[in-house]
Amino acid sequence: MTENANLVPFRFMDCSLLTTSTGLRVQSLRELRAALPAAPVSSIYYHFWGRMLRPHIAESEYNNDFASWADSALGDAELAEELSAINAADCSGLEEVRAVLEDILDAHLDRGDFLSWKKGDREFHFIACTKLMFDTGREVSSLRDFIEAVRTTSLQSFFHHYIDGRRRSAEGKDDFTAWLEQFGAGTERLRTSLQSVDTYLFSLGELKTQVVSILGRFSRGGGAENA
Amino acid sequence: MPDMIARYAEVVGPHTMDSLKIIADMLRGKRIVHVNSTKEGGGVAEILSSMVPLSRALGLDVSWEVIEGNPEFFACTKTLHNSLQGMPGGLSEGQVEAYAETSRLNALRLGGTLEDADYVFIHDPQPAALLGLLPGRRGKWIWRCHIDVSSPNRSVWRFVKKHVEGYDASIFSLPDFAQPLPHTQCLITPSIDPLSDKNIPLQKGEAERVYGELGVPLDKPVVLQVSRFDRFKDPLGVIESFRIARKHVDLRLVLAGGGATDDPESGAVLDEVQRAAAQDPDIHVLVLPPDAHRTINALQTGAAVVMQKSTKEGFGLTVTEALWKKKPVIGGDVGGIRLQIINRFNGFRVRSPEGAAMRIRYLLAHRWKRERMGVNARQYVLENFLITGQLRRYLSLLIALDSPGGEWERWI
Repeated sequence: MTENANLVPFRFMDCSLLTTSTGLRVQSLRELRAALPAAPVSSIYYHFWGRMLRPHIAESEYNNDFASWADSALGDAELAEELSAINAADCSGLEEVRAVLEDILDAHLDRGDFLSWKKGDREFHFIACTKLMFDTGREVSSLRDFIEAVRTTSLQSFFHHYIDGRRRSAEGKDDFTAWLEQFGAGTERLRTSLQSVDTYLFSLGELKTQVVSILGRFSRGGGAENA
Repeated sequence: MPDMIARYAEVVGPHTMDSLKIIADMLRGKRIVHVNSTKEGGGVAEILSSMVPLSRALGLDVSWEVIEGNPEFFACTKTLHNSLQGMPGGLSEGQVEAYAETSRLNALRLGGTLEDADYVFIHDPQPAALLGLLPGRRGKWIWRCHIDVSSPNRSVWRFVKKHVEGYDASIFSLPDFAQPLPHTQCLITPSIDPLSDKNIPLQKGEAERVYGELGVPLDKPVVLQVSRFDRFKDPLGVIESFRIARKHVDLRLVLAGGGATDDPESGAVLDEVQRAAAQDPDIHVLVLPPDAHRTINALQTGAAVVMQKSTKEGFGLTVTEALWKKKPVIGGDVGGIRLQIINRFNGFRVRSPEGAAMRIRYLLAHRWKRERMGVNARQYVLENFLITGQLRRYLSLLIALDSPGGEWERWI
């Protein structure tokens, strides 16, 4: 199978995330709600996905910056939990993520408890970004080469294919899983394993280690030759 | 030069360097110039000492120019620096004149190089006025602000703003530092060079030897702060923390630093520190020359705990250096340190000498936690704060500036 000339090769892309200040900063929940519609769509992206590319540790309790801020700056753990339950990958696009955020904030503000007007002990800064993507020219066709290439690819490239790939795909599939489909049933368990990794629970470096480990197990089990 | 790329590849991985090379190739043939106010001493000079050779090794045409000024000019820019970090006061008429005159002389001296460049990075406020004095410039100009301007003295910020609003973009280390300006404001954190004398792994025994040469016995744990003798670095607060901690645990304090040629205040602060430390055999105040990089490396390597108890900090490079050497760091809960130190993960952020003393005691009492935090610290720097990553972001900004507008997500 690995020698099959009909296989579509995997081409590694890479990206660079340029982060910029929007000048939008808020200090209370009400201010956050008021500013949200004005935030550029790339800001929604940054606070849910782009955050993976900035200094970040696995122990972060929440999966997006809005939730982290609600807890750490406002002390509103309940809201933080609600915001953290947003599964952005299930949304049809970034505007839907924004709408879900707005709904949660509206519902919380409607309850009118004191935390909705409390000033946070630090501001929330809306950060925008430009994602520049480029072709590395690196292409692999065999599973064995693919596994080695994932192991050595840059963290940004890994982010582009594995994390951001899920957002770009209508079915929520990362690029690696999508490419492995052409190998048929022989990679089914591998694909399931790759798809089942919760990308919110690890830092980017740890995620890469985990994916490389999954690929390594598959390879050691003879999967790369037998698929 | 390929050797240099290969050495970085050993640290960050070959494909990370390949990607950097691809980005650099997109800027091949373009002329890039960095301008700052000192060739040695201070974080900016250190970053440029690494970034310029690395850029050249990647095939880029990069040069580094340093503005020249008299003591009056540097007194003015020190006031600018302090006021932008929130100190009260303002510029005197004489200082404003010295700034204008020095800028004019430097514009005459550097004009040809800067007007021909495709991209010019102007670092900090000292050379900021050059843009307005070179109307024949053809390239894109970027103002790189390294300091914490989150709550500047407003009259001084207005003075600086007048000089920087005409730039094509500015770069700040944190979103908190960004100020309203009519152009793109990028957020890029500074970095350290893993291959520099300050950060390479030392030979076995070298740290002990250097401590010996400096007259600091390693008979008890060493708490270290390396920084310029600058009030914002709070060296007196470090001494106070040490004295509180010493009531409970036997230790030494080393305060090591030097001045930068653009910092006229460092002598006065050093005098205060030496007076505070006088007669105390467990406090060692070391005045090091600006090129004592390997000595600083040895001091950091041999210390048990490293501090950076700043009260204002754009970004503490010494924090990153210590983290890289697997040292947990106790830092002031300010500025860029908030991004560098994650409480209990790779150090502690503190707000008072008492808080710092408590964390010194904690780290000295829990050896395995100290070691665990040290491992986290190294990995955190590897993923976030190395020169290769910073250069990648700078180059990406230049590429983005050449294709303004368009989608936020685009192929280049």
